[in-house]
Amino acid sequence: MRRSRSPGQVVLRRALGGQRRLVLAGSLLRAGHQVGEATVPVLIGLAVDQGVAAGDLGVLLRWLAVLAVVYLVLSFSYRFGARASDRAAEEAAHALRAEVVDRVLHPGGGAETGRLPGALAGIATEDARRVGMLAIAIPGAVATFTGLLSGAAVLLWISVPLGLVVLAGAPALLWLGHLLSRPLERRSATEQERAARASGVAADLVAGLRVLKGIGAERAAVDRYRTTSRDSLAATMRAARAEALQNGVVLALTGFLIAVVGLFGGRLAADGQVSLGDLISAVGLALFLIGPLQALARVNTSFAQARASATRIAEVLAAPHTVAPGAVRLTPEPLGGLRLRGVEHAGLRGIDLEVAPGELLGVAATDPADALALLRCLDRRADPDAGSVELDGVCLRDLDPGDLRSAVLVAAHDADLFEGTLRGNVGAATEQDADLRPAMEAAGADEVAGALPYGEETAVAERGRSLSGGQRQRVALARALAADRPVLVVHDPTTAVDTVTEARIAVGIRELRRGRTTIMVTTSPALLTVADRVVLLDGGRIVETGPHADLARGNAVYRAAVLT
Amino acid sequence: MALSEEALPTASPARTRALVWELLRPRRGLALAAFAVMVGATAFGLLPQPLLGHIVDLVAEGRPASELTTPAVLLVLVAVLQGGATALGLTLISRLGETMLAALRERFVERALLLPQERVERAGSGDLTARVTGDVSRVAESVRNAMPELARSLLAIVLTLGALALLDWRFLVAALLAVPVQAHTARWYVRNAVPLYARQRVAAAGIQQRLLDTIGGAETVRAFRMEDEHTGRVAKASRAAIELTMRGVRLVVGFYSRLHIAEYIGLAAVLFAGFLLVRDGTASIGTATAAALYFHSLFGPINNALVLLDDAQSALAGLARLAGVATLPPEPEPGPEAGQEAASGQGREVTVAGAGHAYEAGRPVLRGVDLVLRPGEQVALVGASGAGKSTLARIVAGVQRPSAGTVRLPAARPGAARAVVLVTQESHVFAGPLAEDLRLARPGADEEELRSALDLVGALEWADALPEGLDTVVGEAGHRLTAAQVQQLALARLVLADPEVAVLDEATAEAGSAGARALERAAARAARGRTALVVAHRLTQAATADRIVVMEDGQVMESGTHEELLALGGRYAALWEAWSDTRATAG
Repeated sequence: MRRSRSPGQVVLRRALGGQRRLVLAGSLLRAGHQVGEATVPVLIGLAVDQGVAAGDLGVLLRWLAVLAVVYLVLSFSYRFGARASDRAAEEAAHALRAEVVDRVLHPGGGAETGRLPGALAGIATEDARRVGMLAIAIPGAVATFTGLLSGAAVLLWISVPLGLVVLAGAPALLWLGHLLSRPLERRSATEQERAARASGVAADLVAGLRVLKGIGAERAAVDRYRTTSRDSLAATMRAARAEALQNGVVLALTGFLIAVVGLFGGRLAADGQVSLGDLISAVGLALFLIGPLQALARVNTSFAQARASATRIAEVLAAPHTVAPGAVRLTPEPLGGLRLRGVEHAGLRGIDLEVAPGELLGVAATDPADALALLRCLDRRADPDAGSVELDGVCLRDLDPGDLRSAVLVAAHDADLFEGTLRGNVGAATEQDADLRPAMEAAGADEVAGALPYGEETAVAERGRSLSGGQRQRVALARALAADRPVLVVHDPTTAVDTVTEARIAVGIRELRRGRTTIMVTTSPALLTVADRVVLLDGGRIVETGPHADLARGNAVYRAAVLT
Repeated sequence: MALSEEALPTASPARTRALVWELLRPRRGLALAAFAVMVGATAFGLLPQPLLGHIVDLVAEGRPASELTTPAVLLVLVAVLQGGATALGLTLISRLGETMLAALRERFVERALLLPQERVERAGSGDLTARVTGDVSRVAESVRNAMPELARSLLAIVLTLGALALLDWRFLVAALLAVPVQAHTARWYVRNAVPLYARQRVAAAGIQQRLLDTIGGAETVRAFRMEDEHTGRVAKASRAAIELTMRGVRLVVGFYSRLHIAEYIGLAAVLFAGFLLVRDGTASIGTATAAALYFHSLFGPINNALVLLDDAQSALAGLARLAGVATLPPEPEPGPEAGQEAASGQGREVTVAGAGHAYEAGRPVLRGVDLVLRPGEQVALVGASGAGKSTLARIVAGVQRPSAGTVRLPAARPGAARAVVLVTQESHVFAGPLAEDLRLARPGADEEELRSALDLVGALEWADALPEGLDTVVGEAGHRLTAAQVQQLALARLVLADPEVAVLDEATAEAGSAGARALERAAARAARGRTALVVAHRLTQAATADRIVVMEDGQVMESGTHEELLALGGRYAALWEAWSDTRATAG
């Protein structure tokens, strides 16, 4: 049991497994690069000893030629190794990103529960990137180890005692440095968090600029920002001091190691145990080894980061679906008859309701929460706790939620528009060359287009926030009408629209949807008037059913909900 | 909605320099000290190579091993001094950079928040947001990491080259043979990298935008079965960004490959120069060793400096964009100040005379509007979408300067920031504790004042029910409020701001029809005791006002009480008929 891998590890393995060729190629090539880098100081030592000191031009030139070959190899290995591992990182992140988006958009839903859109977008970008970074970190670690081993081998070959001094000394010094700077690192991390706050506050204030202007709070906001900024400044300076100290400590320790190598190597050379060239090589190698050793210390950090990110991704991917898929296929052209039997969900208490194919039904709920609960059951964003909803006699539980939604469209009153033109938005759920005019006219979106500088071709930005509330609502309604689904449920489609337009839209909906099942969940009298029948939902139950006129005359609850 | 874009300014290099100098001048002592200490630290860093060379010489001359102790002890001493000086120097540099940065960002935010709203809207609010997030952090990043590192690298290069020259000037000449290749490589890199990185940033922002678009609208995507289309959109944006990233990678590795050539040329030349000098007897083997080690130790700083140049360049672009806003001369706010002057404290009336406005030339949205709001009067604005109601509301509220005509406002109440407050459907919850959000409207308000404002708009109950009451962190990353709660919060801010005049525009539209009625009642309570201009969507809301103003095509067509306008039998009567037609059956 304990051998089963955590979901995060599964994600890590899958992401890297998909790129194993590139990761392998990157590892080999970058190892080659490190070996080359380790060879350079050795060759410098040999060239000085046998060429410069001996005064032999031929030997010097020979060593310079060898150096040229080494440079060619290390340059080539670096170039193609880095490309391979970077490509692997990007591809791995891309695949994870697609997986996260697929999961979020899965008809079964559930991935957004408890997560803000910004956080999910962050998981799909930053976390995916961090996991992908392992495809760079792993070849990096392999290369670092190779560099360390080859450097160590050369040192031991030069002189076993000198090699041992460096090999024991370098990690010991690094460990000492790590020990000394660990409290500094910890402090720096918390300080950096506080330092980042200033930019967050500034962005937030700018985002709320209109509100600030509206209440004349600009000065108060400037004062607040200044306090935050000063606070951040103090934190940043503390962090910077800690970092500078850490830098100094590492430098001093490195210098100490070189002094030890110089003294010890010099004594060995003076005793004739090693050559002059070996001494120079050893000093160069000691300097070189600091790099890989430091890189090795960082590898751990990127592994820890990748693990944390993979866990977050795994959590999204494994989020339970809100509704389970069903096995029954929907008939290609559903008639659009709906039946609710004893539906209990959230505030709903035993709803029994039959909607005939082609009917235009109004639903007025005294509690907005009940309306939402009903809407969620109709397109299976949730299944009722008890009772059932049927479409043409098939229980919705037995249908795939995606399949169901190609027959039943529930258009939310705060539905989002997407980046693209106004026309593109209206036609989002239609065939390529569908005629959008009837839907546009019915929803009053033709007037919206008329008021915009480029008409239907005007770009819609920031999820429709570039339009006014009323404009956005009409475009969204036009999109719902254009989708032309066998069953359409609209929720409060005209709250931001003026009265005259609203009355026109009501007629438009009625005309366009003639013969197609349509439900309007609203308390707007203009819409309810055109319905064949209105259902009044109060206290989670259907308390009365009838034409708007009858309810308005005979039911005080209805009058209070709709007509005041 | 203003659509003609007029970007916020970007400062010229001269103006940017002037701003930097202005920020630097009060700190020039600190700057000098930082520079001096860093020079010292770098100089200490150059001592190990000759000391090691000295050890090589002692060995080569066959001196006793005991003589090696002195240079070794000196090496340790140098290491300690270098470490200490570097720590001190880096601390000074970051203190200099960070205090300048803080001064810059405070100036920027102050200017940005005080910009007239129309100016911001003309540029698109995205511009300002991008500057305040992207550019500020890019400059900060650079101040924090790139600048100190760049300074260190440049100092190391200059001093190392100087040290090479001290060993023997011919070593310097040999080392400089690498420079043409490096210079050429750097030019090639910057030429290609700068535009490529700009495109990369756009592509990265593109993915982020696409993801927010798709994930934020996931319910809608699922409802309309647009899953495949949206997955495809994200994949396309992501693919495009990957290809750009890989182009950048190819560029960077190509850059380093070329630098390898330069390294080899320089190293071979220095070794060869060493050979010649040692043969002539002008230099010792130790000196030649030191020269080779010097050159080998230059690789790091040179590579660093060349890469950081690119960082610095992108930071400079960000700095120019920040300076563009930070050095804007303060513009007078439209409306309130001018209005107060005109009113010279007399009268508590709001007077709009001959107001006209066009967001784009040739498309007037408001024409010759005259309107007087008597003290304490509740006036409802009625009309179809696009009739100019919102524009008139914005002009009265002072966030929009009319193209023609004048607005007179009463003086602000004592303790209030301004005479008129505007609440629109543009809602925002400021990140932080709920109480702090409210205090923006009235800095220093005590708990009791906050609670009574919340109570007045019917928000106290849910506010008390929050996990930590008024101290609950709300807004981005905090507790999420419903659309109706956000609007109540906006009304509570209005109450706290305590203006003489309240302008309410579409404040209830997003709450759904049932919630809308509750919000209307809250709005009515918030507006009580003030002069109020309310853009009414539901005629029932208009019917209860003291006076109704009907607008069409940017003009005021009718004005009067509900009964007067019905009797008039004009536009309002027709609207009312359409409205009550739907309820005529209620009869």
